[in-house]
Amino acid sequence: MRNHLSVFLLTLVFLCCATHGAHAHKVNIFAYVEGGTVFTESYFPDGKPVSGGLIEVQDTKGNKLLEGKTDEKGLFSFPLPKNENLTIIINATMGHKNSFLLKESEM
Amino acid sequence: MQTKHFLFQAMSLACLLGLSTTGHAHFGTIVPSDDIISQEDPKKLEIAVKFIHPMEGHFMNMAKPKQFGVLQDGKKTDLLSTLTETKGKAPDQDQTFTAWETAYAITRPGDYTFYVEPVPYWEPAEDSFIVHYTKVCINALGLEKGWDEPVGLETEIIPLTRPYGLWTGNLFTGQVLVKGKPAAGAEVEVEYLNESPGNPSIVAPPSDPFVTQVVKADANGVFSYAMPRAGWWGFAALSEADWKLKQDGVEKGVEIGAVYWVHTIDMK
Repeated sequence: MRNHLSVFLLTLVFLCCATHGAHAHKVNIFAYVEGGTVFTESYFPDGKPVSGGLIEVQDTKGNKLLEGKTDEKGLFSFPLPKNENLTIIINATMGHKNSFLLKESEM
Repeated sequence: MQTKHFLFQAMSLACLLGLSTTGHAHFGTIVPSDDIISQEDPKKLEIAVKFIHPMEGHFMNMAKPKQFGVLQDGKKTDLLSTLTETKGKAPDQDQTFTAWETAYAITRPGDYTFYVEPVPYWEPAEDSFIVHYTKVCINALGLEKGWDEPVGLETEIIPLTRPYGLWTGNLFTGQVLVKGKPAAGAEVEVEYLNESPGNPSIVAPPSDPFVTQVVKADANGVFSYAMPRAGWWGFAALSEADWKLKQDGVEKGVEIGAVYWVHTIDMK
């Protein structure tokens, strides 16, 4: 009986967490260039950083130029690899994905 | 007798019309060209700052404001020097009036609350000065943070409903603060901006009470209003200042208004 209750409570906690994750909705990425370095910031709508998210940078032809991981502040930076439009993709856990188009005019 | 009676009626009507004109609400106004900036949108906003009757479109002269700025990520930036003077009028006004505009380039994700404190406006019809502390919030690039932060104005509305991404019919709830404290029972005037971009047809109110909607705040200064049409909606929470200003050497009262603007679109 006691065991059942524990399982029930654990399930409830798990469900709450899962719901919370789903509620954190969309993941976002923002990028800008400063002094030849591209700075990226990945965040949830409430400002919570996307920690440990996978970043992939593609050129206009869709070739992967580099990849990396966001730190605990949701940040990842890298030297500007090419002077052309770059697509920067953030891939967080649970299938949360988004991208930012860094335009050549902003470099 | 007949003539006299008619004359009396005509005079009463004139009187009523006169009264109704002054009864229409003044609104400090800040309307940006967009309220939600996504990745594909232009990052440059056009912002109009005016003193108007929103439903009728009537302008009043607005002197250069005392302060105009933006609150973003907890930091205030003074934008007063970026304002440029413009002229505007409603079709049925026979002269033009001073208003202001600026352009602002969004650089980072987040909420941007623009605010204006005008110089006191002398309204002879109300034998009072009017100062409308006016705010509007725009959201950029998916970071929904900052919209509920106070600017720290003499009086202001703190939105309790996130003030962007609102559908037509949504309830807007806000809290009225005067000197940072809830304004119990404050009267809040609500008007639709008839010149809202995308308004399919000018709204013609059938009688005066339709021009300005009125709701009262509760004991915590909290009020709500459901917005029935797509476009811009202004909320003006009015209080009497505990300070006076002189007009021709005589001390006069000051109406302080906390004004907030939000935008709705139809669900489709």
